[in-house]
Amino acid sequence: MPTIIEGPPGRETPKPLLARRLIWFVGLAVASALATVVVAYGLKALLPPL
Amino acid sequence: MDALILARLQFAFTIAFHIIFPAFTIGLASYLAVLEGLWLTTRREAFQRLYLFWLKVFALSFGMGVVSGVVMSYELGANWSVFSRAAAPVIGPLLGFEVLTAFFLEASFLGIMLFGWKKVGPGLHFTATVLVAIGTFISAFWILSANSWMQHPTGHAVLPDGSLIAVDWWKVVFSPTFPSRLAHMLLGAYLTTALVVGGASAWRLMTAPTQPESRIALRMAIGMLAVVAPLQLVAGHISGEVVRHHQPLKLAAIEAYWETRADQPLSLFGLPDRKAGKTQFEVAIPGAGALAQGVSRETVLQGLDAWPRSDWPVVWLVYWGFRIMVGLGLAMIGLGLWGAFLVWRGGPERSRLYLWAATLMAPAGFVAVIAGWVVAEAGRQPWVIYGVLRTRDAVSPVGAGQVSASLLAFLIVYAIVFSAGALYILRLLHRGPEEAEQAPKPEDRAPGSALAAPSEAGETPP
Repeated sequence: MPTIIEGPPGRETPKPLLARRLIWFVGLAVASALATVVVAYGLKALLPPL
Repeated sequence: MDALILARLQFAFTIAFHIIFPAFTIGLASYLAVLEGLWLTTRREAFQRLYLFWLKVFALSFGMGVVSGVVMSYELGANWSVFSRAAAPVIGPLLGFEVLTAFFLEASFLGIMLFGWKKVGPGLHFTATVLVAIGTFISAFWILSANSWMQHPTGHAVLPDGSLIAVDWWKVVFSPTFPSRLAHMLLGAYLTTALVVGGASAWRLMTAPTQPESRIALRMAIGMLAVVAPLQLVAGHISGEVVRHHQPLKLAAIEAYWETRADQPLSLFGLPDRKAGKTQFEVAIPGAGALAQGVSRETVLQGLDAWPRSDWPVVWLVYWGFRIMVGLGLAMIGLGLWGAFLVWRGGPERSRLYLWAATLMAPAGFVAVIAGWVVAEAGRQPWVIYGVLRTRDAVSPVGAGQVSASLLAFLIVYAIVFSAGALYILRLLHRGPEEAEQAPKPEDRAPGSALAAPSEAGETPP
């Protein structure tokens, strides 16, 4: 766990373009949501059909 | 034991386990947002290290909360199918809204909180943290809305086949007991988090009294306790007034009012005896019941004798659940005010007695939350939807053997999985942020930062 949590950028680190940061923001959010969807539908698939 | 009792025991076990995690993560998400906001505005490294440390604890607690919550949705179908079939048109959308508007918000932006700080930059990362905190609030909103509707159902109609439909969603979502219960639960969650943060910090300060992160965290926890614990007393009182209006039978069980009369006593302690219809070995203040309820002494308050015994909840459980919750709440007020006094006098870390008290009180929020939910849920019995569907009529047509087997499986799996998770969290709390491996690497530290020269950040111990 400690090795995968990302800390903040250093003060000397050059700031990426806003567009690039926004793409990461949306991309990570969508990827996290998709991962949740996969788990949720996987669990639903375990239910017997009505 | 029959299937009904076993199904109730199973739900009580799984939900009592589950509530521990949201009660903690609701407050912790807000705490993380405050820490990151403080880091953004002050750039003190201590706030950043505290953030990264508590983020780990949050991620683990969030995960265990999700897993323990999924179990309950299966349980509703397996053990409570009659309830599910009858109430799904009303309860289903509320739980669905919780998943769509809250859970997905939390799950999506937790990814950025954990893996995206360098990628999205400080501003957008802070936005993600705030969105997760808002998500936990929205989650509590929908769950409390659903539960409050079960406590006092409004805005629905009963169809000839016994199933329920919503005819006024506004009344379903905002049932009369909902606002006060939501406020009471949210404040309880903030107190739970403050107690854990304060307790963990106090524990570390006993061995490292000058440790800056723990000193800051303890002061923040004390500030929260000193303000929120007295507010919770007010919120609890308002919640009690709502119960008196809408669930007088529950109030009679909470206060052990056996007979309907004016000038009720205020029962402090005792052993409620359902068979005898009185409280054995009772310590009570005569006439003070009206004072506690905020009514005149001439006001007649309904006692348990106003309802048939078959409709009574388990009186001792409700009576003692309430007293445990209130007792711990008063202890929290004391801890907060005592801590505020010590901060004013120079520092709580100088008082070993206070550090021990804060450490011992760390789990008190969890106990109080569970005790409060016992009052709410056991006090609603024998109804699963108050006045509409009895608990005994809501259970699935399953045998005691089947429910026993699943209960045993839950006990074993929970003991293994959650013990491992809880032990890992306790180990993290014991180590503290100062030993966190996530501390910024030297190349990330700005020249002259707090890590490079602690005295610059004003964190040098006196």
